[in-house]
Amino acid sequence: MSDTPLLKVENLTVRFAVKRGGGFGKKHFLYAVDDVSFEVAKGETLAIVGESGSGKTTAALAVARLVDAYAGEVDLGGHEILHLEGEDLRRVRRKVQFIFQDPYSSLNPRQRAEDVVREPLLSLTDTPKEEQQKIVDDLFAHVGLRPEQKRLFPHQFSGGQRQRIGIARALATQPELIICDEPVSALDVAVQAQILNLLRRLQTEYGLTYLFISHDLGVVQHMSDSIAVMYMGKIVEHADRLSLFNNPLHPYTSALLSAVPTVDKTLREKSRRILIPGDPPDPVNLPKGCRFANRCPVAQDRCRETEPDLKTVKGGHRIACHLVDHTAVSPL
Amino acid sequence: MTEPLLKVENLRIELTTRAGVTPVIDNLSFELGHGENISFVGESGCGKSMTALSIMGLLPEGVGRIASGSIQFHGEELTTASTERLRDIRGNEISMIFQEPMTSLNPVYTVGEQIAEVLRAHQGLSKKAAWDMAAELLDAVRIPNAKSRVGDYPFQMSGGQRQRVMIAMALACKPKILIADEPTTALDVTVQAQIFDLLRDLRRNTGTSIIMITHDMGAVAEMAERMIVMYAGRNAEIGPVDQIIDRPRHPYTKGLISCVPHIVANLTEERHDLTEVPGIVPSLQEFGKNRCLFASRCNLRTDECLRERPPAREFENGQKADCWHAEEL
Ligand SMILES: Nc1ncnc2c1ncn2[C@@H]1O[C@H](COP(=O)(O)OP(=O)(O)OP(=O)(O)O)[C@@H](O)[C@H]1O
Ligand SMILES: Nc1ncnc2c1ncn2[C@@H]1O[C@H](COP(=O)(O)OP(=O)(O)OP(=O)(O)O)[C@@H](O)[C@H]1O
Ligand code: SF4
Ligand SMILES: [Mg+2]
Ligand SMILES: [Mg+2]
Repeated sequence: MSDTPLLKVENLTVRFAVKRGGGFGKKHFLYAVDDVSFEVAKGETLAIVGESGSGKTTAALAVARLVDAYAGEVDLGGHEILHLEGEDLRRVRRKVQFIFQDPYSSLNPRQRAEDVVREPLLSLTDTPKEEQQKIVDDLFAHVGLRPEQKRLFPHQFSGGQRQRIGIARALATQPELIICDEPVSALDVAVQAQILNLLRRLQTEYGLTYLFISHDLGVVQHMSDSIAVMYMGKIVEHADRLSLFNNPLHPYTSALLSAVPTVDKTLREKSRRILIPGDPPDPVNLPKGCRFANRCPVAQDRCRETEPDLKTVKGGHRIACHLVDHTAVSPL
Repeated sequence: MTEPLLKVENLRIELTTRAGVTPVIDNLSFELGHGENISFVGESGCGKSMTALSIMGLLPEGVGRIASGSIQFHGEELTTASTERLRDIRGNEISMIFQEPMTSLNPVYTVGEQIAEVLRAHQGLSKKAAWDMAAELLDAVRIPNAKSRVGDYPFQMSGGQRQRVMIAMALACKPKILIADEPTTALDVTVQAQIFDLLRDLRRNTGTSIIMITHDMGAVAEMAERMIVMYAGRNAEIGPVDQIIDRPRHPYTKGLISCVPHIVANLTEERHDLTEVPGIVPSLQEFGKNRCLFASRCNLRTDECLRERPPAREFENGQKADCWHAEEL
């Protein structure tokens, strides 16, 4: 899908051991991320969308080496990073930074704003002290905070300002990849726009690559270059922005898009809501076949028998559904 | 027009905190018709939940109180009603789904017990009848295998199912008004679509009026006939949803609509920066000041905005905006 991927993830699998029921039963595993592969080109944004619990955060944490992968490879700028340790791992940590959902709990309440931003420089780099201060001052200006706010503590900021501090902190080590996990969902809509515009401006300015996790499809439509849709640990669809929104192929994606409430009256009258009943299956005890089959409006017998592969069809669109062939026509 | 079901007039709620007494709700008026759905929108802290709690007679004791104004339900004044009467109304005629489904269900009782409890307290049903009815209600809110799921504890259910249990509880006594405070905020959009569908059915079948609090303009557009945009405890704009979205008459409403990246039908390569509403909401200390509280963030601001609180401007289509420059928008 891209000529020079900055990030290349192959067959990534993350599993957790979970306790189940009473007794001495065997160990159970929950495959939070199950054989997931994707690429992101330098300077672009890949959005990951999907239901709560589909594995978005876990996949991102594994890419950032914040949770251990069970299998697979993660290649950043041409280097495999999953097995790195010591100084090499520290270098990776400089290149991959995280912006969290909750600007309230992700900042240390006892650290002054400038120290929050300086922290990664101290722990991950050997930048001399004077230079550190210059970097911090510079970042404050870039994310739209005033110099006199440097000495304040997190609770003295509004939610949007706190998220700016989180962004400045993520930028401190000059990362190449920034993972934004629901960066605006805790903010009021009026403040969301400020942060989204800032993220896009910084992307151009610093040539950043984003892995952007969000459940808000309007935000995703605005921010992304391509989108991966996850369901129960699997990527079920992956396409560029225009293909995904204008020609969704997976029934789950179609349901997801049709469920978004809209202020656009014509769109509302035109679009048919695809309601998917019930709940996703138990992630520890997956049914055989397609993981979406029990809720899918067009499921057939074979869907309940064999699991569909993620295949590439017309226009580089990737899709895991038995009812979609190379012609890339939606089964709905 | 017939008498509205609920009529709130010049409501003022004062909050007593360490910083002093502030009007968290400052001269708010609105009506709710039979079978109507009205939505409240506005930034965090603008007083949406406070307004809802005041209707329920559940303002935080010793902190919030109704200082003036009136709330009439079916012509009956609620601001002076006795505690017993309010409790009676809460159980039988007005019920509420609270903002946080996890904290509002009791973790140590099964969902069936909790629904049955409401039914027994308010409708005097027998234990057995209440239990059966609980199962029926769970089925009505489309929980699969309701008969066996009534025995589940809240932690055994998904977020969407817990929210449906909350709705079942709120519906247990066939209320005339259902107040839903952010009923779907923590849920996936696909689950939200199920819940909205459920609420629409409910309205169609029982004629229940709904007050829905939300931050999502799209949700408002889909669910409500009329909306109130609140800002810092005051009405910014009120009126028919379609008209307001079509042509907002308050700069804040306009900002709220245009700052959100709305999903569009035929997407093109083109992308613009989002419109920003600069700055942040005023602090509680500024509530009640005699000026427009939105002024510091407003690009239409003039001297008079800072000098005096804007009066309500009424338009022929029923829209009403508290802004000195409403006509210019
Ligand atoms: N440390 C852990 N131990 C056990 N299970 C876990 C752990 N972390 C995540 N999970 C499980 O892995 C699955 C994926 O979780 P994850 O947090 O990645 O989902 P998500 O897509 O980010 O969801 P959300 O939209 O709610 O943030 C879930 O079933 C979750 O319960
Ligand atoms: N128990 C309380 N004690 C003191 N202040 C309170 C209390 N409850 C609410 N407030 C304050 O009253 C104001 C209005 O609160 P309210 O809960 O009505 O806001 P809201 O519009 O529902 O916001 P949100 O969208 O965050 O739910 C806020 O500034 C809030 O901090
Ligand atoms: S009254 Fe003035 S400051 Fe307030 S919203 Fe209207 S134009 Fe803006
Ligand atoms: Mg997550
Ligand atoms: Mg609230």
